[in-house]
Amino acid sequence: MSPTNGAGANRSAKILVKDLNFFYGDSLALKSVNMSVYANSVTAIIGPSGCGKSTLLRVLNRMYDLYPKQRAVGEVLLDGDNILAPSQDVNLLRARVGMVFQKPTPFPMSIHENIAFGIKLYNKVSKSELDGRVEKALRGAALWNEVKDKLHASGLSLSGGQQQRLCIARTVAIEPEVILFDEPCSALDPISTAKVEELIDELKEKYTIAIVTHSMQQAARVSSYTAFMYLGELLEFDETTKMFTSPDKKQTQDYITGRFG
Amino acid sequence: MVDVTVGVPNVDGSTILDRAKALARFKFENTFFHFVTFSAAITVLVLLSGVILSLVLGSIPAIRAFGAGFLVTEVWNPVTDKYGAAAAIYGTVVTSIIAMVIAIPIGVGIAIFLSELCPQPLRQPIGIAIELLAGIPSIIYGIWGLFIFAPLLQQYVEPGIISFFGSVPGLNLVFEGPPYGIGVFTAGFILAIMVLPFISSISRDVFATVPAVLKESAYGLGFTTREVVGNVVIPYTRTGIIGGVMLALGRALGETMAVTFVIGNAHRVSNSILAPGTTISATIANEFTEAVGSLYTSALVELGLILFVITFIVLAIARFMLMRIEQKGAQ
Repeated sequence: MSPTNGAGANRSAKILVKDLNFFYGDSLALKSVNMSVYANSVTAIIGPSGCGKSTLLRVLNRMYDLYPKQRAVGEVLLDGDNILAPSQDVNLLRARVGMVFQKPTPFPMSIHENIAFGIKLYNKVSKSELDGRVEKALRGAALWNEVKDKLHASGLSLSGGQQQRLCIARTVAIEPEVILFDEPCSALDPISTAKVEELIDELKEKYTIAIVTHSMQQAARVSSYTAFMYLGELLEFDETTKMFTSPDKKQTQDYITGRFG
Repeated sequence: MVDVTVGVPNVDGSTILDRAKALARFKFENTFFHFVTFSAAITVLVLLSGVILSLVLGSIPAIRAFGAGFLVTEVWNPVTDKYGAAAAIYGTVVTSIIAMVIAIPIGVGIAIFLSELCPQPLRQPIGIAIELLAGIPSIIYGIWGLFIFAPLLQQYVEPGIISFFGSVPGLNLVFEGPPYGIGVFTAGFILAIMVLPFISSISRDVFATVPAVLKESAYGLGFTTREVVGNVVIPYTRTGIIGGVMLALGRALGETMAVTFVIGNAHRVSNSILAPGTTISATIANEFTEAVGSLYTSALVELGLILFVITFIVLAIARFMLMRIEQKGAQ
């Protein structure tokens, strides 16, 4: 499914999902999903609980691989290469497609190490260069001013909103191409939410972003494209402005206006 | 439970009286229940202080006779009635250290394999086998150690160790001498096998407490399993692992039967860990029946007191460390 017309038509798809079916054991969670995630833009995935939006997100970096009973059938092309192919190196894929989770998950180490660790994994850098990249990542996540004096304090000592921005900084630090957000603000207060949303807006300059959210307002605020999912199917996918003003499908209309879900 | 009439619509005088009775009965039951549980808790304290008191009283004659010198004297001679605990304390500490050095990496390794890497169908069988290891009575480890394991070590392992470290200054003293088969090293090895299930099953349990999303976010950065385990799982569960290790150490310090079989029971402080030695509990188990004379008995009781104190210190250190880690986490 691609946006009907307008600007979307000439944007390049960073990720192309083709006929994707997903199974938890025997139960089908995604039914032949087709969609695109366009480069340097924010794509929101909305829909009621259990509709498969998080599942879809977890296919994009093969996070489901960790669990033996889950499998995906179909094609997901990242810059044209099928990432569902068995030959795909999942660690490399996850370095290219970063993920930020619902709950902030700082590692049990200092703020500095939380970020430095991922960098050191991929690059051999001198200490000064490492410090520079940690600072850059923290600035990128709008967290630097709040933590610059306590870089060696535990990452767990930060507030929830700060922890979530630390997780974003950690993801940004290894310079991925795509960042997946799985309800990144659902555990945050409105002020922290506003900061994270602002951040997502800045990040789209450099990265391709997909965000799963339960908040219609959030989808409307941050995204350029919106996908509406219902019972494992992608019902509608379009530019956010179109989607929120004149959706094609009745279910979409009902969901957006809060009649169900 | 007691039947209480509820939902009676018209509350007349007799119901009120019934309720008062029921409430009085509840009150009595409550007091009784409180008393029973309270005494159960107090019993532990009474028993504990009783044990300490009898250990202290029993060792007074030996303390009078030898003073603090008891702790550092190596001589243990029932014929001349001269006793010192140095050899037993040394043996206890060294066997436990050897056991920990061997068992911690293997135990944690097993736990990592079982919880992070092991294919699903193999998890259960291996897990059960390890739990069973904990169920084997220590006397069986003792005879197995004496008849099978010690000769094996003597014939194939110890000569190799001796010649390998023979040319390394310092270490050649630690691994010196004829391969007896039985000795401090063998005892430590048997202890390691015995405490392995504690370390691995507790580590496994605490690994299971790591939130899936934390592991996922590490995998999400492209970490490999080894990096996730080393940098997320183990730091996150460090407290629990230390707890398991301390429990294992407590068991190793006090283990009697298996050690008595394979340690050689020699009251000597040797530089070589391959030499025979003894531990506190092995000495007590070996000699209590033949301890004639009050000073001999008293010396054995004082050994018991020392073991009690050592174990207490280990537990206290464990508590202290856990407390510090918890505080660090809470900051």
